Formats: sequence, structure tokens, C-alpha cells
Amino acid sequence: MTVPAQKPARKLSMKQRYTALTHDLDWTPTYVTEDEIYPYTKFEGIKVHDWSKWEDPFRLTVEAYNKYQAEKDRRLYAVLDGFAQSQGQLGLTEARYMNAMKIFIQGIPIHEYDAHRMFSNCARYLNGPGARFAALCQSMDELRHAQTEIHTLSHYNKFFDGMHDWHKWSDRVWYLSVPKSFFEDAMTAGPFEWLIAIGFSFEYLLTNLLFVPFMSGAAFNGDLPTMTFGFSAQSDESRHMTLGLEAIKFMLEQDEDNLPIVQNWLDKWFWRGYRLIALVAGMMDYMLPKRVMSWKEAFELYFEEQMLNGLFKDLEYYGIKPPRDVQWAIDEKEILSHQVYWVLYQYSHAAAFQTTIPNEEDQKWLMEAYPETWPVFKSVVWDRAQRVMDAGGRYFNPGLPQLCTVCQIPMGFTEPGNPLQQCQRQSVYEGERYDFCSDGCQTIFDNEPVKYRQSWLPVHQIFQGNCGGPTLPDVAQWYGLQPGDGAEYLGSPDNLNWLAWHGQAVKEA
Amino acid sequence: MAVVANYDYDWPSRSAAEFYGDDQLIHVWWNGNVFFVSAQTFRFPKAMPFGALVNEVLKGFYTADPDFVPDSLDSAKWKIDGVAVTPDMGASLEANGVGHKSLVEFSL
Amino acid sequence: MSVAAEPRPVGVDLQENEENRALVEAIEADNDDLNIRHMPGMIRLTKTGRLVINQASVEARLGRPWETHEFQMAIISYFGEFVEWDDDQIVIAWNH
Repeated sequence: MTVPAQKPARKLSMKQRYTALTHDLDWTPTYVTEDEIYPYTKFEGIKVHDWSKWEDPFRLTVEAYNKYQAEKDRRLYAVLDGFAQSQGQLGLTEARYMNAMKIFIQGIPIHEYDAHRMFSNCARYLNGPGARFAALCQSMDELRHAQTEIHTLSHYNKFFDGMHDWHKWSDRVWYLSVPKSFFEDAMTAGPFEWLIAIGFSFEYLLTNLLFVPFMSGAAFNGDLPTMTFGFSAQSDESRHMTLGLEAIKFMLEQDEDNLPIVQNWLDKWFWRGYRLIALVAGMMDYMLPKRVMSWKEAFELYFEEQMLNGLFKDLEYYGIKPPRDVQWAIDEKEILSHQVYWVLYQYSHAAAFQTTIPNEEDQKWLMEAYPETWPVFKSVVWDRAQRVMDAGGRYFNPGLPQLCTVCQIPMGFTEPGNPLQQCQRQSVYEGERYDFCSDGCQTIFDNEPVKYRQSWLPVHQIFQGNCGGPTLPDVAQWYGLQPGDGAEYLGSPDNLNWLAWHGQAVKEA
Repeated sequence: MAVVANYDYDWPSRSAAEFYGDDQLIHVWWNGNVFFVSAQTFRFPKAMPFGALVNEVLKGFYTADPDFVPDSLDSAKWKIDGVAVTPDMGASLEANGVGHKSLVEFSL
Repeated sequence: MSVAAEPRPVGVDLQENEENRALVEAIEADNDDLNIRHMPGMIRLTKTGRLVINQASVEARLGRPWETHEFQMAIISYFGEFVEWDDDQIVIAWNH
């Protein structure tokens, strides 16, 4: 006689297990004060009365965390192995797609590592055990992201230029000062500002605008490893979104006085994050041979619809308003990608990625996606760049750009309503001039000038002689760039190799 | 506004004039031609004549644009830090009011 | 002043794979007026108000033991908040 198998009843419910293995491991110190153990959680002016109110809906324990994270890694590495064994790189749509992933490996893994460090800091220095444990999980997640991104993209490094020294470039190369300064800015703030800057503004408000374009772009262009990495990381991201949302709600619920501080950080970090992901806009509209959606569409879906019309309606309850400069971002959605890629096109001779004039198929898509603004950019810049090519040349800017002191991007952004008039803003602080691309960046500077005058602006540093020498070859050597890493895609080793692998003859120029 | 910090927070600029000696940075902006996606930053001696900037640098620099006519700079309208001026081509940048990180703007 | 906002969409993006078929079927069975949209490699499930994932419902369709923690393996993104996550149920809704 068989007895039907019965699952043994768990001794504790999920909620009880979680509480027993996180909150209940905390204790009230008797021989040191709370302030001595946690010296960083008062100076920002955020008032917390009851840390036990921090909620973590995921209710993970170390056991559950390790079990599921290990499984995610196993699945990912199986795909990476399979792709490498089957020479999957030959199945990409085209070699020029790799430029999107060059920007990814140069601009992201090192900052996942930064996030790992700062969340590790939070895992020690936040007073509440619930908050500490959530930060600990996120710290381990970010380390895993850094590692898996590097492993995922390492396969491509065997076949394509522009990836070999991503770590060194992250520290030195001009456009990579954009993400570097962003993360260092957040890391050098206090723990509460960090939680709003990265936990909330970046990981909740803006995260889909970063990850979906890269991952869907990968899916559409035959990049199985990156797509799989993306899905693997995104499941962690849902915990990160939750931590970020909990952080802002916790601060707002603990004390009304926290509202203006939180609102100011939200305003600041929305803008900082928005400018950072401008690079993604240029990538998704111009660097993908097969495109998923336009920047404009992604912004409308992932920000305007999901955030402004979803999340911010929820936050209204606390008195939170949408970010101060949000209308400027909405106004820019038709032109942002065109302006960013135009920056990248004319300066890629000094970069570790390649650019090229959009081909006929690209232009057809651009026309459909941006029927009002693409024709303007086509006639004002791309047709002229084409004429330079037709005459046997290739337009690269012969000088160095004016950089915004805050976002550090070349000041190619324009006045709202006038896409052919670059925006110029200037502040004078203690007798020195500083320049900005927008009201958003200028306001950030004016609120904390002593912080942002410390900007290590690549162009200024080159002119001070801190980047290897006065000429472009000197700087390129200091950067660690090699021939083939940057400049024009057509005729590059990446391009020629691709044709050779596919048995195609090189077209006559 | 002071930076909120847990110590007396005061750090200098990384691009202060003193780092450039007798030179300074200037931003030259061709307002009306986005072929040059942004203004351009240069490092020049403060004593450099304005006319040298125009004739020896900019007339050559902007030929990267196939439609640029160098002599058109002779009739350009100039602004320095947002103020319309008629530069004295024989005088130095400094004497013309161009300071460290000044914006030298022209339109054609 | 706080006024209860009218019900707004909540949703979840799931990885589209063999394993998650049962999960999607369970969610579909347990949520009226569910919107399903297929995108490359993922499924977007949205509805107005409250989205519920029931452990028993998923396990019955999956044919093997399933705990709610495992939902993490499937999720890509979400909008709304996790207002409940227990051994028996996960609920996504907006608090305000």
C-alpha cells in the first residue's frame, strides 16, 4: 500500500524565516552608541525614527539568495559556452553592431563594480538590518553583473577591436568620463543620497531606458550572449527597483521634513541619469543594424507612460512632484539620438568605437521613426558628411569640444524648440567661469559649485598636459588606443574581417 | 549653496586659470552651424592677437566643413560672453575682454 | 491632501521560456482582464489594479514543487509594487 507523498510542512512561514534570519540577527549595542556604529546617517539631514519600518517584499534569506543566484549563473554560462563553441559571432547581423557592445563594455562593468562597493558600504553603515541585508544582496548582485558582463563580452574580444583595454579606457578616455563622473559623484555623496541617486533614480526611474535597448538590440542582432546576460541580470534588477522604491518611500514616510531633501535629490539625479543615458539614445537609433524601437518610443513607453503616469501618481501621495527638468527631456526626445550620434561620429577618431554614415536602409528607418526631425539632420549634417566622403575624405572634427562641467558631454545639445541652436549656459563662481549644456546641468552646479568645480574634464586635462601630450597621437597612446579601435567603420579591420569570414569580396571604394 | 558634508568641504577647481600659466582656455562657437556639433575649446596665449585667432586658426580650422568660405569670417558678427562686440583685431585676446574659459561666439 | 488615485495599470515582464509557460497560464487563469503581449524573448502581463500570482495555481500546472521565491528566476521587470510576497501568494499593485 502506498501512501501519497506529502510535503513536510515548513516550520516557519516565509515572513517568519526572513525575520528570523535578518532582522532578528540584529541587536541593540550596550557598550557603544548607535551613532558610533553608524556615523554617516545623520549628516545629510534625513530624519529616521524607526528603522524597523524598512520593508523588503522579496524576503530573501542567504540560503534562498545563493540558491537562485547560482542557478542564474549556471544557465548563463551554459549559453556562453554554447555560443562560443558554435562560433555564434558569425551569426551577428553585421560587425558594426559590435560598436554598441564596445560602448557597453567600456562604460558599464566598471561602474557595476562601483555600485558593488557603495552598496557594500551601505550593507555596513545603514542602521536598520532590513536595509542592510537588502543592500548586501544588491552589492553581491552588482559584483555578479560586473563579472558576467566581462565574461559575456570576452568572447567577442577574440574577434573584434575596441574591447581589449576597457578597464584602462574607463578611467582615461574622454566620453567614458561621463559614466565615471556620474558614479563617482553618487559614491561621494552620503548613503541616503546614494540610495536616491542610484537605488531609486537610476535603478527604478531610468533602468529600463538603459537595459531594454541594449538587450533587445542584442536579441534583434544575433547577440545571444548579451541577450542572455540581460535576462539574467534583469531578474536581479527587479530586486533593485524594489530597494530603490522602498528607499524613497521609507525616507518620505519617516519624517515630513525629508520631503524637500528627497525632492531636490530626485530632481538632480533624474537629470544626471538622463544625460548619462543619452549615449544609449545614440546607440539604439544609429548603431544597431536591426532596430527594436526608437529612443523616442522607448522614452515614451518606459519613462512617460510607466513612470510619469504610473509611479509619480503614486508618489504624489507624499507630495513628490515629477523632476524639475522633465519637460526639457520630453522636448528632446525627437532630437536627442541625432545629436548624440553626431557627437560620436565626428570624434570617433579619438575613441574606442567606430562610426559611419547611416546607410540607405538606416536612413529609411530614421525617416519612419522621426519624420519631422530626421530630414533636418540629414540635410544639415549627414548629406554634408557624405559629400566629404565622396570627395575622398572623412569628416572628423579637427579640434576638441566644449564640455559641460556637470554631465561632461560635448555641448551639442540645443535650446528647447530650436534644434539648430546649441544651448550655452555659463555660471561664474569665485571668479571662475563654468559652462553647461542645459538649465538642468547649470542648476546642479549652482546648487553645489564646490563639488562640481572639481570635474576632471578630459578636454581641459588634455590642455593641461595630463593626458600624455599635446597631439592626438600622444593622447591616443596615453588612452591605450590601437589602430582599428576607432574612427570610421567602413574599411576598418572589423569590417574587412567580417567580409572575409563570410566569403564576401571587399567592395571597390 | 554649501555642499552638505560631514566635514568642512572645500576643494579647488581642476581647471583654474593658474593651471594654464600665460595661456588660457577659450571656447569658440560658430553659432548657426551644427556641422561642428558644439563650440570648440582651445588653449591660446592671453597675449595672442584677436586677428591671429581669426586668420591663423579659425579660417583654417573651419575648412573641415566643405561649405565654409574662409573669408566670410571677415564679416562675422562677434560676441564675447554673450555681449556683442566689434573686436580689435590688433589687440590681444585679453585686451579684447576674452578671459579664461570665455565664450567667443560668431555668426555669419 | 491625498486622494486615492484611480486604478492604474500594474504589470510584470517575464522571460519567455518553457519553464514559465505554467507560470503564465496560472497568472492568466487567476487574473481577469489580463493583457498579454509578446516581445522578443519576453512576455508582458498587465492589468489594471492588482496582479496576483498564486503558488498553488502555478505548482498545479507545473507538475513539480514550486515556491514563490522561484518567481525571481522568471521576472525581468515590473511596474507597481510588491504589496505582498508570502509562501502562498505574490501581489503587485499600487499602494496609493
